[in-house]
Amino acid sequence: MSRMGKARVRVPERAAKGEVVEIRAMVDHPHESGFRHDNMGRPIPRHIVESFTCSYNGREIFRAKLHPAVSTNPYFMFHALAMESGELVFTWTDDQGGVATQTARISVTD
Amino acid sequence: MTQTIETGRRDFLIKTAAATGALAIGFKLPRVAQAADGAAQTPEVTHWIVIQPDETVVIRIARSELGQGTFTGLAQLVAEELECDWSKVRPEYADVNEHVRRNRIFKDMSTGGSRGIRDSQEYVRQAGASAREMLVAAAAQEWGVPASECKAAKGVITHTSGKRTTFGKVAAAASKLEIPKEPKLKDQKDWKLIGTSPARFDIPDKTTGKQIYAADVRLPGMVYASVVQCPVFGGKLKSFDESKVKGMRGVKSVVAGDDWVAVVADNWWRANQAVKALPVEWDVGENGNVSSESIKQFLRTGIEAKDAPVARKDGDAASALAGAAKVIEAEYYAPYLNHATMEPQTATALVTDERVDVWVGTQNGEATITAASETAGIPLENVYAHKMHAGGGFGRRGPHQEYTKQAVKIAQTMRGTPVRLQWSREEDMRQGRYRPVALVKLRAGLDKDGNWTGWHVRQADQSIIITVRPAMIKDGVDPINTRCFQDNPYAVPNFTNEYAMRNTHVPPGFWRAVAHTNNPFFRECFIDELALAAGKDPYQFRRPLLQGKKDLGVLDAVAKAAGWDKPAPKGLHRGIAVVDSYGSFTAAVVELSVEGGKVIDVKRVIVAIDSGHVVHPDAVKAQMEGGVIWGLSSVMHEEITIENGRVVQSNFADYPVLRLAETPPKIETIIVPSGGFWGGVGEPPIGGVIPALANALFAATGKRVRSMPLKNHGFSYKT
Amino acid sequence: MAVNCRIGSRTLPGRRRALRSLAAGVCILIVRPAAATPGELAAALRESFGDRQIQRGKVKLEMPRLAESGNVVPVTVIVDSPMTEREYVKSVHLFAEKNNLPRILEVQLGPYNGKAVVSTRIRLATTQQVLAVAVLSDDTLWSAVTEIEVTVSSCG
Repeated sequence: MSRMGKARVRVPERAAKGEVVEIRAMVDHPHESGFRHDNMGRPIPRHIVESFTCSYNGREIFRAKLHPAVSTNPYFMFHALAMESGELVFTWTDDQGGVATQTARISVTD
Repeated sequence: MTQTIETGRRDFLIKTAAATGALAIGFKLPRVAQAADGAAQTPEVTHWIVIQPDETVVIRIARSELGQGTFTGLAQLVAEELECDWSKVRPEYADVNEHVRRNRIFKDMSTGGSRGIRDSQEYVRQAGASAREMLVAAAAQEWGVPASECKAAKGVITHTSGKRTTFGKVAAAASKLEIPKEPKLKDQKDWKLIGTSPARFDIPDKTTGKQIYAADVRLPGMVYASVVQCPVFGGKLKSFDESKVKGMRGVKSVVAGDDWVAVVADNWWRANQAVKALPVEWDVGENGNVSSESIKQFLRTGIEAKDAPVARKDGDAASALAGAAKVIEAEYYAPYLNHATMEPQTATALVTDERVDVWVGTQNGEATITAASETAGIPLENVYAHKMHAGGGFGRRGPHQEYTKQAVKIAQTMRGTPVRLQWSREEDMRQGRYRPVALVKLRAGLDKDGNWTGWHVRQADQSIIITVRPAMIKDGVDPINTRCFQDNPYAVPNFTNEYAMRNTHVPPGFWRAVAHTNNPFFRECFIDELALAAGKDPYQFRRPLLQGKKDLGVLDAVAKAAGWDKPAPKGLHRGIAVVDSYGSFTAAVVELSVEGGKVIDVKRVIVAIDSGHVVHPDAVKAQMEGGVIWGLSSVMHEEITIENGRVVQSNFADYPVLRLAETPPKIETIIVPSGGFWGGVGEPPIGGVIPALANALFAATGKRVRSMPLKNHGFSYKT
Repeated sequence: MAVNCRIGSRTLPGRRRALRSLAAGVCILIVRPAAATPGELAAALRESFGDRQIQRGKVKLEMPRLAESGNVVPVTVIVDSPMTEREYVKSVHLFAEKNNLPRILEVQLGPYNGKAVVSTRIRLATTQQVLAVAVLSDDTLWSAVTEIEVTVSSCG
């Protein structure tokens, strides 16, 4: 399994129940498109993050399928409806079997 | 020095009365003042055209005036269809900010590729035609008559009944009408302005010294910056010792970027003295050992590689060469070249919390506004790029806007204070975007009768396009660097063009005529070598191979003008070459004598162009003369070399360009427009003169020069 | 005065026209995706959505009009949806008309997101149009098209 770079996420520590919170996630990864060339014009092999998911207390709330046109160090901003306190798990998988995970806790008050 | 700012009207003038005289810069004060003033303003007929009550016709120009005459040529195209009074026309730059806010309404703003006329002629003529239809419709409405009974000429609209009005009187009413989408364009036979040479708008101010360039911009309270950048491309700034310059007279601050550091002072001289005195350490990385020699060896790996990507393949060149009665083989080389614009890279920036203003002599207003916006982190809508006429462009001031970014970054550290960043000549020479090096191996086969049967061309060079638009590289072939070969017009039955890309750390750039500066030298000199081997005259050798091509027309034109059918007068020697590029066809004959085997006296250059249509013949002539001078300069003098990863040359002393005394007494231009297409003229005239000179030199000396510049072979021009 | 590197877009008027009709087609009218789009994008749309109609509206695609390099272009897609259990956005798809591969990204969403707003950063090979398509819970397809100029690729 190849290694993946550092993953960073931003989730509010606390939120009111029913509040829509903003989540940001980024992983350090070349996300090499396969369309770049080396100094002799030869293609640099593709090496991309293929999927990114986020689950909230075990339920998947975001899934992205990435193609080469996503920028280096793929970044996402999306939202979640805060329903209960718990854990968010973020997972990135690349096309060489590399996996990165990151977790964050959110505490939800009534 | 006194400075006043007058606001409250559309143009605000900054007047600077200096010891040497007064300089005035007029530019549009965007948005704020315009809005306040809105009611008093003349509404535009369309976004391209404003007609004022005094009949002044303002035509907006999206391209940049670099001395090529685009302000005049594009205005002619609009005015031709508008049927206005040419004496009332005043061109102005289309506002870049407005362009962005109005969803790119002025279309292409980039000025390059000799595209100004050929790529915009249709829509700018339509702009003129649409406005004319609107003006006529407005008059017809006022009179209650059908528009078809009205006619416009010289800014006057008349009705069959004898009613008469002017553009200025109906412009406001016309501006309320819808813009016709498909206005009818005139038939070519009815053109009155296209094909004539009215006085150019840009020349008087340049002649009198009144012209304000980016390097002349002065704003109230402005400070000055000079920069040093990592001398090894790709390196980074490691450290600098600010304390050594902080106490120097006039020094205000030191600002650093990733790979540069600048000193800001109360005048440019002080800023530059301080930046030179500033102790700086660079992290040069792995490129600190690269030299011109190591680069050449790298190119050689491309020539010697067993296989290389194929750009074009006709028939079977390998078999043709194997079966040839005679095989001719040669290797040619061209060095890096710098744009060396007379005005070094310069940008003035003013950053506040809400907006950014930049004053730049840019070849691409969109690139400038984007660079400023992204650097400042301020949305495009709040960035104002004030386009200045450029003191030489040649491709240097287009996509790469490092100077704009640096100026904005410095201005961010002193909000509210305008900063003019001007590169020193040395920085300009050493931080260029260079015409790339190229090595090429050519092999050709002739049959026993001297017919050209097979040709194999292997190019090894550095790609420019891969740095800006890599998707254009298909299967390893650079479509720009292979021009002259992959689009070779000569009828050779078996032809293979291979391309081996070899990219170095030296940043490449689009240098006026790009690959059509080195590839014509390689191709046209080699063809002269073939003619010699075939025992044929170089002109007669080419002719049958170009049958049915427009190249033949210009080749014949220069041969005829040179009197090629008769031997050159005693002591004079001629060379000929033909090239098509940027949609046009050009050929050149150079006539020279050589003194002492080394001193070249160019007596006469004849250059012909077929650009299809011609808008302003005198501007075309000027571009041809300029192109000849550009070509003669590069072939003799120009070369950027690399040692320890950095550029050796620093100024015009070690990177000379053609001087007046070296310029040939006669440059004869022949314009042979065959009609039916729109070709470029800014770059095409350059390609022919370079090989024509080298071919004439061979005729004079028997020495075949296969690398540029000629000075490296001991040659010089007579002065 | 330096280069002609607009080969792709400049010397192929037919393709230019096709792009205009793509804009007109997807943006202004209700069309079947394969009606008038350049080959690869049309194929990708067909593969994702078959013959289903893509309507204009309900989607906002926020991007700068100009970008310097096209390597890192910030993009935000906003879909007009209450994001309730009954009415929500199922997925958002991004396409680039002139990249080597037209697909950029597909994102699955649901009522648990509370808000159908997604941002990311994308690569664009050159000046072109970007298309965002949202699939709603009632299986209707909505879209927005934005054109972006990549200034470095304009050369000279």
